[in-house]
Amino acid sequence: MRDLVLSGIRKDYGRVRAVDSVDLRLAEGQLTALLGPSGCGKTTLLRMIAGLETPSAGRILLGADNLTDRPAHKRKFGMVFQNFALFPHLTVRDNVCYALSIDGVPRAKAHARAEELLALVQLEGFGDRRIGALSGGQRQRVAIARALAQEPEVFLLDEPMSALDANLRETMQVELRMLQQRLGITTVVVTHDQREAMTMADRIVVMSDGLVEQIGTPQEIYHQPQNAFVADFIGRANFFDGVAREGSIDVAGLSLRAQPLNFTPGAPVRVAIRPERVQLGESLPDGNRIPAEVVFLRDVGATRDIHLATPLGTIIAEEAIGTGARRLDLGTRVEVNLPPEALHVFPAATHVPQAA
Amino acid sequence: MSAIEDTSALPAEAPTRRLPSPRMLILWALIVTFCVVPFGLVLAISFGQKIEGAAWEWAFTGENYLRFFVGADWPESRTTLYLNRLWYSIYYAVIAALIAVLTAFPFAYLLTRLSRRAQSRWLVFLLATMSLSEVFIVMGWDILLSNRSGLPMVLRETGVTAWLKDVGWFAQLREWGLANPRDVKFKTSMVATVLTMSYLVWPYAVILLYPALSRLDQSTVEAARTMGAGPWTVMRTVVLPTVRLPLVGTVFLLFVFLLGTYVSVTVFADPSQQTLAISVYEAVRGSTLNAPFGAAQAVILLITGALCLWLGRTLVARTGTPA
Repeated sequence: MRDLVLSGIRKDYGRVRAVDSVDLRLAEGQLTALLGPSGCGKTTLLRMIAGLETPSAGRILLGADNLTDRPAHKRKFGMVFQNFALFPHLTVRDNVCYALSIDGVPRAKAHARAEELLALVQLEGFGDRRIGALSGGQRQRVAIARALAQEPEVFLLDEPMSALDANLRETMQVELRMLQQRLGITTVVVTHDQREAMTMADRIVVMSDGLVEQIGTPQEIYHQPQNAFVADFIGRANFFDGVAREGSIDVAGLSLRAQPLNFTPGAPVRVAIRPERVQLGESLPDGNRIPAEVVFLRDVGATRDIHLATPLGTIIAEEAIGTGARRLDLGTRVEVNLPPEALHVFPAATHVPQAA
Repeated sequence: MSAIEDTSALPAEAPTRRLPSPRMLILWALIVTFCVVPFGLVLAISFGQKIEGAAWEWAFTGENYLRFFVGADWPESRTTLYLNRLWYSIYYAVIAALIAVLTAFPFAYLLTRLSRRAQSRWLVFLLATMSLSEVFIVMGWDILLSNRSGLPMVLRETGVTAWLKDVGWFAQLREWGLANPRDVKFKTSMVATVLTMSYLVWPYAVILLYPALSRLDQSTVEAARTMGAGPWTVMRTVVLPTVRLPLVGTVFLLFVFLLGTYVSVTVFADPSQQTLAISVYEAVRGSTLNAPFGAAQAVILLITGALCLWLGRTLVARTGTPA
């Protein structure tokens, strides 16, 4: 197996530590997303994988090959840049077969390969066009085709969707994922968009302040966040502070039942619950039922956010808008239930940076 | 009352022809007085006639242009003295412009890789050197290359000249006009002329190339690296083609600037290899006092410069322009 292994990777810029002790094994053929807010070190990590930055410490291995000191042009990992970095002086075809041309591949063969790749990214007939004559989505496809021309073992994408509008981004996420699955190429995508990461990745690496916060499948990351940062950054969550007790948490004078806790009674904790897990209505199960009042309503397409004033503070509940949806008005008094199994409890010291 | 009203029913305003403002008139008057009139006068004088033993008079004769191309005694005899001078004007200007750009390019490229603060300091320094006059620079080079106290003296005293003689390279230097029978010499020589001219325009070359190189998208360089391009391949296939137009433009601009170089050529060029700029000055203010002929040479120099620019532009257009 030619897994890509990062072992104890660290990167310092003077006194600033951009990446700190990262240990990762990126499985061959899988798509891994490096996800985190701006400045968390994800792009620096990707650039170190590409060979564009040298790690201050640690090793980068591809299978048994140690790539740590190998320059970018000898690693030849295909990379798609945030701004696509297409060569403006070359046509689409010449951009795509650039790696082949400088490698001495005969012109006719290189052009034939370029046409194949352009067909792969659904850009047949675009070979003679200038880069300036392409739309954002087309440029991204050219960048992908160009990066794939050298048949790289590892495919790197640095925020490849950030220059695209919302509709095109959704389409390209699916297309890129399907293409990656078809080619079975080890791929690393850097993104700050958790939806993008959830859509595309086999595994997500959540980063913050140069550190890896959690590694897991999209479902694990979303449903079993390991700390408050991940719970806050991936999706949305309601947070409140409390104190751990035997089998419960004291929050604002209320005692909430929770899953078995590994906290010493009396320890300060931070509790999170996803908005879609907050239940409200007339026939609520026994659990953590608390009184609430509707203070704000926001329809967001297929769902509705209900902002509730509770003794714990403001809680957001998310409900699907369907034909059977109950009518709620501002000021309506309701009861909400916070199911014990839906409560995520973290140490209170866990930092929660503002998500981008 | 609605905030948005239908204005389609309003009568269309009749188009009015605006008279140029006094400010525009003054601007045009200044342009005509200081840019068009001097060129017009030079052109008009170039068709004038020299009065032997006196000044010149207005006329409409092509004799000055004829003299330039075939000499004053044509058809009895033909001389190409002034065509030779034109050739040296172009030759020096082309070589000096190319040397300046070829050496300024790597410097400017490395400059853009420095920190913002370091870049600012270098740019301020370069702008400061541009304030030095040609006379001042040539004086410095004159001392540096003088046979008695400059580089030839250093080479002699350090034994390099003797070593060059021992290994047989001195003879080669003599062939190139860079040595007299005893010593290495730079005055007078084509090398010294061209080097001084390059030195004169070098800061301009850096300042002209800097904006294009600092705008160069570094991610394209990195993209090429990830596709297997080593440093020289990146330079050849990405950097140079991307900045090709500014690069060529800088060469042409410096070329035109150098066509009129006077002091460097006067000091360093052999009298048989002097340029049209010297000849123009000699005709207008020097020994011959023949303003119409000087004006004709100036016009030919101007036309030559324009033709070279046109030729360059055509060549660039034929090789394709970047999007």
